[in-house]
Amino acid sequence: MITKKVAVQVLNAALATGGDFAEIFLEETYSNNLNVDSGKTQPPSSAVSYGAGVRILKKLQSVYGYTNDLSLKGLVKLATQLSASFSGAQEIFVTEIEKVKFNNKHKVSTPLSSVETKKKIDLLKKGDAVMREFDTRIVRTIAVLIMSDRNIEIFNSDGKHFQDSQERVRFVLQAIAMQPGAFETGFTGPGAHAGFDFVEGLDIEQEARDVADLAVRKLSAKDCPSGVMPVVIGNGFGGVIFHEACGHPLEASAVSKGLSPFAGKLGQKVAHESVTAIDDGTIPNAWGSNNIDDEGVATQHNVLIKDGVLQNYLIDRFNGRRMNRESTGAGRRESYKYETTSRMSNTYIAAGKHSKDEVIGSVKLGLYAKKLGGGSVNPTTGDFNFAADEAYIIRNGKVCELVKGATLIGNGAEILTKIDMIANDLERAQGMCGAASGSIPTDVGQPTLRVSAITVGGQGGKLK
Amino acid sequence: MKTAKFFELAKLHGLESCEVVISKDTSIDMNVYQAEVENYSIADSRVIYARGILNGKMGFAVSEKDDAKTPEYLVKQIIISASNSESDDVAIIFKGSEKYKKRNMFNKKITALSEEAKLQNLFIIEKKLKAYDSRISDVDAASYSESESQLELYNSFGLKLKESDNHFYYYASVVIKEGEEVKTGYKVALFNDPDALDIDLFVKQVAEDGLSKLGGKPCKSGKYPTLINPKVTSSLLAAYLGSANAERVQKKSSLFIDKLGTKVASSKITVLDAPLTKNIFYTYFDGEGVAKFNKPVIEKGVLKTFFHNLSTAAKAGVSTTANGSNSGGKIGISISNIVLKPGRKSSEELMKDIKEGFYLTEVQGLHSGLNPTSGDFSLQASGFMIRDGKFAEPVNLVTIAGNLQKLFLDVKAVANENELQLSSYTTSSILVKKLAVSGE
Repeated sequence: MITKKVAVQVLNAALATGGDFAEIFLEETYSNNLNVDSGKTQPPSSAVSYGAGVRILKKLQSVYGYTNDLSLKGLVKLATQLSASFSGAQEIFVTEIEKVKFNNKHKVSTPLSSVETKKKIDLLKKGDAVMREFDTRIVRTIAVLIMSDRNIEIFNSDGKHFQDSQERVRFVLQAIAMQPGAFETGFTGPGAHAGFDFVEGLDIEQEARDVADLAVRKLSAKDCPSGVMPVVIGNGFGGVIFHEACGHPLEASAVSKGLSPFAGKLGQKVAHESVTAIDDGTIPNAWGSNNIDDEGVATQHNVLIKDGVLQNYLIDRFNGRRMNRESTGAGRRESYKYETTSRMSNTYIAAGKHSKDEVIGSVKLGLYAKKLGGGSVNPTTGDFNFAADEAYIIRNGKVCELVKGATLIGNGAEILTKIDMIANDLERAQGMCGAASGSIPTDVGQPTLRVSAITVGGQGGKLK
Repeated sequence: MKTAKFFELAKLHGLESCEVVISKDTSIDMNVYQAEVENYSIADSRVIYARGILNGKMGFAVSEKDDAKTPEYLVKQIIISASNSESDDVAIIFKGSEKYKKRNMFNKKITALSEEAKLQNLFIIEKKLKAYDSRISDVDAASYSESESQLELYNSFGLKLKESDNHFYYYASVVIKEGEEVKTGYKVALFNDPDALDIDLFVKQVAEDGLSKLGGKPCKSGKYPTLINPKVTSSLLAAYLGSANAERVQKKSSLFIDKLGTKVASSKITVLDAPLTKNIFYTYFDGEGVAKFNKPVIEKGVLKTFFHNLSTAAKAGVSTTANGSNSGGKIGISISNIVLKPGRKSSEELMKDIKEGFYLTEVQGLHSGLNPTSGDFSLQASGFMIRDGKFAEPVNLVTIAGNLQKLFLDVKAVANENELQLSSYTTSSILVKKLAVSGE
């Protein structure tokens, strides 16, 4: 998007007042969404995100700015404005820039742009029709294809130049079922760092049937009981519990200032010995994967917790300074409009030894939260909440009636010690994670697991 | 972008009518940590939203890139968008309202203040917070953010509208430690007049937000008479009013289908859509260029109108309520600057007769624990117990569960705070007869 010569000039302008590191992040992202709403194609949307962010670091201070003006004049103006925050003489001079080469782990065999719009719409209509025809109580159906082609370039004062193209696709199905006095929804949203080949590999009809079926079944579900009880959390999106409750507090943005309950606990036991947790940004074609992070650092397979003992954090370059630790390739951002900070990629709890049936069979009276919805956490206190999208009562080790409106609440550090039985059915699921550096694609994941006790909120009174 | 070039190309390619909205934003953010400037950032960005009608269908496109090829790119994308559309939305580019109530909300005093002065305020805030109470172990953020935005709307009927405004906010967050217990407290103070900042009051609010939570534990499960503070009231009201979005009503995913003219809340509840209120959320035209106006939405519990844009209004055979909003180029419906009509009594007075009750001050998980279609919710909550008419022990990590419609029908009284929230809503505390709180 800019030449090396321009980059050198901008970096030197940024470093002119004594900054010890400077970086230019350039982005040109093409987003396209197709949306079929109750059988009718909505006008497709398209957007171009285009701009550059300039960052200067000096010890533990950081300044950041962004603009859509990618001309030499525009970028030098921004760099000069930012450098005015420091007062000193230039200590680091950038003379040469070298391009850093790496292998692309996320191959795309059918680029999204190579497939005609009609073919994509036909797939959406197929899913939409299956949902609509499933039951007369389905009153609204939505099928969406979310596509993006993110092209980034990074130049920094280490004399490095990085370039990457990141193509992502997500296929979303949603069904709303209604009967007098009740509305319920079903949802699925598989996605990947891949091209159209990913969509072609999906069993869209099966996905659509499952979504519609859940929405309809929930109509006659009773309200979830409330109270403290053992809960079995289903695999796949159930991993959002680890993401919210433990992943966020392991981010260097919280740890570096000692604000996280996990700060200063490396090498200590923080979880039940059956828990091993990993953040892996290298998984080929996974939704949360990248070749490099948004600071140009290669992504890693980062073991966060092994057998209950804290091994590592999620670290970006800037927060790493306060911690005296290297980046783990976790510096991410939504776009050039955000300064990078430490974020997750594909975060999951590793598979255990038990079968899923053994885990469910171990509970006398409790809840099986098969599918979790979204949630949030206060990273300083670790207090979290999640909604269960699909939940059943467990009685004498058997999955019984479906219940609706369940919310799980608790504290992250505490729940880690209560995850005490893990199955061998690890699965990952896709989501969007929002934090200081914007909304980014991440995978959550886990096998089916048991939490010995957790507070469940619902309108159904005491569990009997 | 030269809009003339775009309109010319659009005409050439057969677009019947079209519109361009150019939005420009600049901002400055600074954060102080441990008596040093930790982050400083500046932003300057622009987005072009373009819409056009082809064969009776609306198409749209968005670009942050603005070069010689942009007009052509936008026209091409609009054509792709419109020609693939099977939407039954009524495609309208608006010719213009008769009258616009334009007011200048741009405050030059904000930009006149030096950056040093703004930074100085942050240093003072951080220092005062640290000195406020020995249990404040860290001030993890003391920040200032200032932004300026400008919006221009042009269409092929010659309509030209322009609006600019600016505002700023201070944000501070503290960590409170007592023994093993950790709590956080924060406050955002949003203004568009630099003279409105009262540092001592702000510091007190941030510190007390955290300190008051110390010792918080789950309470006994039960159904309590509950006083809901203005902030949580605004969040719950926003979720409830979402049901009055005409698009959701017409697509059959709303609680308010067939509810126009009927009782949807207690007779104590009167809600106004008041976009022309003189505050920082003031705006005089909507996303389609229609003049904004104030109107009642719920009057003494009765639903008076849905929120419309041009398309939903045309389908329903009514006039638009000027709630059209441009969301990524597509016109949706947005609801802002809502006023909940205050009552006469203070929340202390309302509390007086409660022997045992709950004072709800915070909810979490609104995006996941609330079903916007049915109104059912189950949310993480915190607050205080009310005993013998007074605030008692803090309550933390409980859930509240219920249904929005039942909750608003159950309102016994509205207090008189009339506080402007960050969400743009002006709300007061509400007292509900009973709310299910689940703790121990």
